[in-house]
Amino acid sequence: MTTAAWLVLAFPLAGTVIIGLGFKLWPGRTAGWIGTLAILASFVCAVITFLELQDRDEHHKQATSTLFDYADTVGVDAKLTILVDPLSVLMMLVVTGVSTLIHLYSVTYMTGDRGFSRYFAYLNFFVFSMLLLVLSGNFVPLIIGWAFVGAASYLLISFWYRRRTATTAGVKAFVINVVGDIGLMLGAYFVLREFGTLDFLGVFEQAGAAPVNTANLVAGMILILVGAFAKSAQMPFHTWLADAMEGPTPVSSLIHAATMVTAGVYLIARMWPLFEVTPAAANVAAIVGAVTLFVAATIALTQTDIKRVIAYSTMSQIGYMIMAVGAGAYAAGMFHFMTHAFFKALLFMAAGSVIGAMAGIQDMDRMGGFRKAMPFTFITMLVGGLALSGIPPFSGFFSKDEILAYTAQRGGWFWILVVAGYAAAFLTAVYTFRMIFRVFGGEPVPEARELEQGHLHHAEVHVNPTDGEVEDTDVGFPGPEHFIAERAFPMKIAMGTLALLATIAGALQIPEVTHAIDSFLHPTFEGSKYYESLAPSESFTFIGMAVGAVIGLSGIFLAWQLWSRHRGVTAGLITRLKPLYALSHNKWYFDEIIDALFVRPAAWVGRFAQQTFERLVVNGALVGGASLIVRAGSAAVRAAQSGLLRSYAALLLLGVGGVALYFLLQS
Amino acid sequence: MSIEWYLVVSAMIFCIGAGGVLTRRSPLVTLLCLELMLNAGNLALIAFSRMWGNAEGQVFAIIVMVVAACEVCVGLGVIVAMYRRRLPIDVDDMRELHG
Repeated sequence: MTTAAWLVLAFPLAGTVIIGLGFKLWPGRTAGWIGTLAILASFVCAVITFLELQDRDEHHKQATSTLFDYADTVGVDAKLTILVDPLSVLMMLVVTGVSTLIHLYSVTYMTGDRGFSRYFAYLNFFVFSMLLLVLSGNFVPLIIGWAFVGAASYLLISFWYRRRTATTAGVKAFVINVVGDIGLMLGAYFVLREFGTLDFLGVFEQAGAAPVNTANLVAGMILILVGAFAKSAQMPFHTWLADAMEGPTPVSSLIHAATMVTAGVYLIARMWPLFEVTPAAANVAAIVGAVTLFVAATIALTQTDIKRVIAYSTMSQIGYMIMAVGAGAYAAGMFHFMTHAFFKALLFMAAGSVIGAMAGIQDMDRMGGFRKAMPFTFITMLVGGLALSGIPPFSGFFSKDEILAYTAQRGGWFWILVVAGYAAAFLTAVYTFRMIFRVFGGEPVPEARELEQGHLHHAEVHVNPTDGEVEDTDVGFPGPEHFIAERAFPMKIAMGTLALLATIAGALQIPEVTHAIDSFLHPTFEGSKYYESLAPSESFTFIGMAVGAVIGLSGIFLAWQLWSRHRGVTAGLITRLKPLYALSHNKWYFDEIIDALFVRPAAWVGRFAQQTFERLVVNGALVGGASLIVRAGSAAVRAAQSGLLRSYAALLLLGVGGVALYFLLQS
Repeated sequence: MSIEWYLVVSAMIFCIGAGGVLTRRSPLVTLLCLELMLNAGNLALIAFSRMWGNAEGQVFAIIVMVVAACEVCVGLGVIVAMYRRRLPIDVDDMRELHG
């Protein structure tokens, strides 16, 4: 069983190496097909692992395999171990499956870009890192995978490296992710100190007997949460995700929506035995998730960049998942992770198609009326939007309502989180359909008219969509060609498959009817305090679902009123609600606050170190002082080398005489 | 005769040689004085050898003579080479290797 799991890891790695080593040799789209096939092979192996896991009986659905020991000394057992259990298999299936489709989409979308092979080498490297992260059965490979996905994310955000905005966005994402890496590493240290092992199963075995809320363990788990929050773009580490939209659209779809940003959710679900003995830390996770899901939803309401709207929506949806796993609704969180991977990847792909039709423009103010020109994109985006808004019978409806129903079961102050969740669900429907109505409804813009007449708009001068700088189309900038789903078969297959999944995936877990995810994940969460006790009653579930559906539909109705029926009424609203609008439009000033608190002091310290400290202390005292001592010493030694034969002879005699005298006096 | 006489003679010859090395500037004389010092050592070796009644000291003295012969060969060769290149025959003037 573990052989197939190792192969899941091996294929993307082989793909990276093959594409990377021959990146100048691969003609045309070869590199893209190699990358897609590598991930497809990995997906097949994941399915084989899944089938082998299903053959095992209920109590033996866990397998570990160790490739080699990094270090196995007193107190440290750092091993390259993989752990195959239902949770990791679910993650593996979703990651490889969605990655295959996004690779397929990218083969067309990135055609014409001069960095085509480099793109697929990076993308395969990302999939390898992500699989290492979800498969690891030891803290050390987990940390390695965690850092690797951060590096892959950096490489792909800054993929168009001649764009200044893209490189700064990459640096920002990398720095915030490294803060999270350090949190995870220190958290792992706390766990090691507490339990004396880095092996997951060893830690979890002892965790059940550990006393509740010991200070050390709570501190360790909060540090692990810092890692999870930074990777999953939760408050206050969320600012990098919106900027990460500088990367190519399929990258946003794969890394910054479907897979990498949900690593934090996976981490909390994986560490459930530890979080159940540290309820304080678990509560922090639930509260931060709830705050993020609400704040991000309000920000998404006023953004005009189509990709940023979806990015804030991603933050908001991951907030739901973090809240769920923090509150103990692990299966609900993982279920929402799965459905979200489908519909959010789909929304990004549809947005990519629209951006292709606009020849690189991402501003929604300049879009409109694409419904007739792009029927396929319109339908897929509508499916994604309905799933995101939680409209029955689309998948998002079941997963989101399950999270809210399970969280409500915790009672007490968890009700506040649930109310925030429902409020944000309303906002979700509003901003999603604001986007759809603005892009596809209304009067067709010139680009849409051109497309209706069968001609894809082509920009004469390419500009950076963020700051309007003029660009060429050489390597380091996006290529000259643009592609839309209507005209590219691979894009159509990828989007069609995801649209189908986004529609029907909810059937896996319809309350009171099916519970495929619940029973599949049961072996992983066996013995959990909440997994079995949190069971909403039938009536409670159905009331929750009804409320969710009504809220979603009323949100869509409001969006229809504001952005379709009475177009232009929003301008009046903006002037009337100026402070609220400014707060939302400026993303609650998080960038400015972080800038003032951390970035500027750090920059000041850096300038001080460079200009003052280095000049005076490093160059002056340390380097200058050391060379002064050496120079003085060598001058003294050099003086003795007079070159006079007779003085050498005299010194020799004096020395030998001195030694002889010394021994004479001694004896 | 007691051993002290031999040792005193040996020490005197050694000191004459050492004084010559330290004071004279001609490399030829320096070499001669070195010979004196070596042979002072030989004298002491042979004296001790007789005192203990074994031949090791004498063997050692013969080796010192061999080494001295070699040294003189090289030293005189160097001096002849200096003379041929019209270099000053004065050890104080030859200090190219000073630091």
